[in-house]
Amino acid sequence: MFGRITTQMTASMTLNDLQQSLNRLDTTQQQLSSGKKINQPSDDPYGTSQAMSLNGQLSSLNDYTNNITDGTAWTQQATTSLGDIDSMVQRVRELVVQAANGTYTQSDLNASASEVNQLIDAIKQEANASYNGQYIFSGTSTGTAPYQTGSTDTYQGGTGSVNRLIGPNTTLTVNTNISSLLGNGQASGDGGLLDTLRTIASDMQSGNTGAIGGADLKNLDSNFGTLTQMEANVGAVSNRLTLASTRIQQLQNSDTAALSNVQDADMATVAINFSTEQAAYSAALKAGANIVQSSLLDFLNN
Amino acid sequence: MTIPSFTGLQTALRGLSAAQAAIDTTSHNIANANTPGYSRQQVDLTQSPSMTLTGLSIGPSDGIQLGTGVDVSQISRIRDQFLDIQYRAQNSNTSNASTQTTILNQVQTSLDEPSGSGLSTQLQQFWSSWNDLSNSTSGISAPAARQAVVDQGTTVAQSLNALDQQLATIQSQTAQQYQTLTASPSGVVQNDANQIAKLNQQISQMQAGGMNANDLLDQRDQLLDSLSGMANISVTDQGNGMVQVKFGDAASPLVSGTTVNWPQTLTSAAGGQLGALLGLSDPTSGQIQTYRNQLDTISNQLISSVNSLQPSSPFFSGNSASTIAVSATASSIQTSSTSDPTGNDLAIQISQLAGGTADQSYATFVSKVGSDTAAAQGTQSTGTSLLNAINGQRQSVSGVSLDEEMTNLITFQRAYQASARVMNAIDTTLDTLINQVGAH
Repeated sequence: MFGRITTQMTASMTLNDLQQSLNRLDTTQQQLSSGKKINQPSDDPYGTSQAMSLNGQLSSLNDYTNNITDGTAWTQQATTSLGDIDSMVQRVRELVVQAANGTYTQSDLNASASEVNQLIDAIKQEANASYNGQYIFSGTSTGTAPYQTGSTDTYQGGTGSVNRLIGPNTTLTVNTNISSLLGNGQASGDGGLLDTLRTIASDMQSGNTGAIGGADLKNLDSNFGTLTQMEANVGAVSNRLTLASTRIQQLQNSDTAALSNVQDADMATVAINFSTEQAAYSAALKAGANIVQSSLLDFLNN
Repeated sequence: MTIPSFTGLQTALRGLSAAQAAIDTTSHNIANANTPGYSRQQVDLTQSPSMTLTGLSIGPSDGIQLGTGVDVSQISRIRDQFLDIQYRAQNSNTSNASTQTTILNQVQTSLDEPSGSGLSTQLQQFWSSWNDLSNSTSGISAPAARQAVVDQGTTVAQSLNALDQQLATIQSQTAQQYQTLTASPSGVVQNDANQIAKLNQQISQMQAGGMNANDLLDQRDQLLDSLSGMANISVTDQGNGMVQVKFGDAASPLVSGTTVNWPQTLTSAAGGQLGALLGLSDPTSGQIQTYRNQLDTISNQLISSVNSLQPSSPFFSGNSASTIAVSATASSIQTSSTSDPTGNDLAIQISQLAGGTADQSYATFVSKVGSDTAAAQGTQSTGTSLLNAINGQRQSVSGVSLDEEMTNLITFQRAYQASARVMNAIDTTLDTLINQVGAH
């Protein structure tokens, strides 16, 4: 309180108050039009760094989602290819069992042998499956086809594992080492599927039905076991990706909510503040105009 | 002894003169109601020395005091020097904070955070591009993914270059502003100081002649108010109507009597606008330089963390925010640490740098700029309120109230009329004495 009030005091105080009122109105207006309560770092320095870090986390979560989508595509492709190989191996097994019966003539056996050889090519083609231009069964050498068509059965790919980042510090191997199933062909004698199939074909051609029904069938069954295990592994990877995707989704939801809490303006509150401040400003303007105008001069008539 | 015949006329004349002086002063006040720095003036009245009459009384006391009217002892200005001291101290603080607010606002605007287009978003996109590359080390998307890494890296590097450039510009503009204000002989400080020295001279001369230099004192106070916005000032009365002005942390007084000592060296401790400008722009320890050093640290963290995962050829070149650039090409980027070039372990590791030291340092940096700005804004806002309050008190004491002046005008006008009426009455009395006594 001041003892003595002067005209200029009233004027300058009215002006100051109007300016403060307008300032508040401007801040509220900015919040209303941007929908954000933090428009400058100085509006809330700690909130700003929180918003920046949450935005960074959301960006990383988005990356993980992309990686999971990509990994899922790899496992789907692998599942399809291994399934195809599975049915082809079963077809070979039928041919082997029929050949082992001893009822086939040599020309029947020759026909079976040529079907087996064709299935070998088809299996190698399945092994050369690619996603987005990358060979999925070639280890980290994704630019190199794992097997060449024709008589060479040597594995051309790499041994490294292809990983996808599916969460903070969590990587998942999405590729399958097909060479542990197919091997390097008959020349290597490694007992891989290609070795077994080539041996079956040559045993058929040479009419060695004893070997076909014996060692060959046994080897084929053992290869089939490896294949089934491989399919189960791919299925497990696919499950982990689905789980990770759900988890990321939850994190995205909670981070988005947290971000909104930190930086978004509560529109209802802001709107009410805005109309309150607007009313206060108009009232101040009107009152100010009246107070500043009047003085004793208005009432002295001479 | 009798009363001299014309004593009453003289008394009435004094009354007329006093009322006239009061009306003139009221007029002066009304005319200056809106003059910045004006202090209202008032006519100080005292009784004039009375005359002693003897022989009129037969009582024990010999002699009666007869009043002879009024004297105008002086015309004084109404001003509280203590409020001036408070006003000037607060004006230095507020002006210091408002200078800081203005410049720090420029700094935080240039950061463009948290907007979705600032450096933090660009860093996120850079890390994401490495992540995309880790999914496409060969095949049809590989060339595009490699190019995207180079492009995003270039965007980040150029943003850091631009940020540093903007800060450097603000820094040099701030230094320039200081130079302009303190320039000799054309700067504001020197100008004000020269005028104060000149007023010192004039006021001293007038006071030596026994006069009140009210309007000159107002002018000098107004200049001191304006100087207090530039730096902290301390004003000492030298006793002869002159003042000595100590300015900021300058070694010798800015004004001493009629002498002006300028230019002098100030530091950021000078307070006021000049102190703020120095504190912000200093090329070694200034606040903007600190920000630039932090940007350099962020740039170096980025350079070393990415380059350490690119063993054969570095991805970034440079060693500061102004020199950082992408030296890698789409074909020279390594995604694999093994002999197998299509492996993706390095790409994954680099994408995991997201949210790492560089990102964290940048977030801390933005938060620091934000809190510095908010602190300056807070000080400015409190300071402005205090300054307004002190100014209100000053106005309450020194300001012209038109209501009051109108009331005074009526009072003095009536006093003038009454004195004139007294004169008329005495005239009539004298007429009786001169023309009626002894006439037939």
